[in-house]
Amino acid sequence: MKAATKAGKKKNLLTPTTFSLLHATDFADRLLYKIIPPLKAGMIVLADRYTYTAFARDVARGVDRQWVRDLYGFAARPDLALYFRVPIETSLERLLARRVKLKFYEAGMDMGWSRDVNESFRMFQGKVLDEYDRLVEEFGLEVIDATGGIPDQQRRVRKLVARELERTNG
Amino acid sequence: MVSEPREAQVTDRVQPGHFYGAGLPYVGLEHYPGKIIAIEGTDGVGRSTQIRLLREWLEVQGYGVIETGWTRSVLMQPTIDMAKASNTLNKLTFVLLYATDFADRLEEEIIPALKAGFIVLADRYIFTALARARVRGVDRAWLRNLYGFAIAPHLVFYLKLDVDALIKRVLQSGGMDFWESGMDLKLGDDIYESFRTYQAKLLREYNSLGEEFGFRTLDARQSVDRIQKNLRNQIGAFLGANERPASG
Repeated sequence: MKAATKAGKKKNLLTPTTFSLLHATDFADRLLYKIIPPLKAGMIVLADRYTYTAFARDVARGVDRQWVRDLYGFAARPDLALYFRVPIETSLERLLARRVKLKFYEAGMDMGWSRDVNESFRMFQGKVLDEYDRLVEEFGLEVIDATGGIPDQQRRVRKLVARELERTNG
Repeated sequence: MVSEPREAQVTDRVQPGHFYGAGLPYVGLEHYPGKIIAIEGTDGVGRSTQIRLLREWLEVQGYGVIETGWTRSVLMQPTIDMAKASNTLNKLTFVLLYATDFADRLEEEIIPALKAGFIVLADRYIFTALARARVRGVDRAWLRNLYGFAIAPHLVFYLKLDVDALIKRVLQSGGMDFWESGMDLKLGDDIYESFRTYQAKLLREYNSLGEEFGFRTLDARQSVDRIQKNLRNQIGAFLGANERPASG
């Protein structure tokens, strides 16, 4: 599964819909093998990105909002979803400071909005953030202000997780 | 009329050339001149032979023709072949892989051909995938949404064969394979019995899809020539009617 996604990305072969479907396939695979079994065993699954990433990213690319939500209809709804929010300039600064070369799809270069990769990133991620704002409302994501220091963020995360565990175990 | 409201909703047929559902919002579908003609049916009903003959016939008349077939996308074919060989994927990932393959061919082959006024001969469209998924218990409403990006074909022909005839044809050609026998469904260890049960279930799904999507059913026990003649008559009538602008 990974192989097709990687090959497709390398050759920049993907359309918004095949991009979305390939990620959904990969997600289905992870869900069935890596997420559901530990859930059944009563374990806590920490997921670095879940379906919400797809909802924001794929809609920013132009796929239908309801279609992609229904596409992931097979996924288990998380007990707690945390959204680490930063303004675009901050995320761009952080990526550039780490001398990370922005990836083609991450910067939304496939959309052909700008030939300048930083500018394309700004435009594309701007749309992604707009979608996330919508998701916060729709799915009740807990927003963490990720512009602050990591200890502050972690304190808040631990508080939210502890509250959730208390709620479900108590 | 006493019918369940859900069924009634499903039977509302989408106009040919339109999206079944949400579609591809970033792709406009403004009256493309091309047409999609799909040939459906299980293995061994002679789809590829009929398509080859149709292509010759259409090209002689001056139509541009492209063929598209299941799991033939540049993007997905290697992955699907690998997945089949290793037998590791579950039904959900399989359904999604097939959908990805179809989406790739739709956007890269079918839509450009429709824009250019070609006739797209589809050796299986979405219906075989739907039938296989339904037999495996995948939720129907979810499947319909999944394929909401597909364009409704102008004509769908279903080459129908009963299980007994099908078994003989398959045994005469390549023999029964793991997937065509539905061995992943674990209906039993006996490949013959599994094939029979699985194909019977598939045929039931084709029949129900036929009603939902308006298949034109042809008896696949007939000779190649007879089937081809029937196909040409129906396609000829359809294309003729489309070339003449409606009067009045």
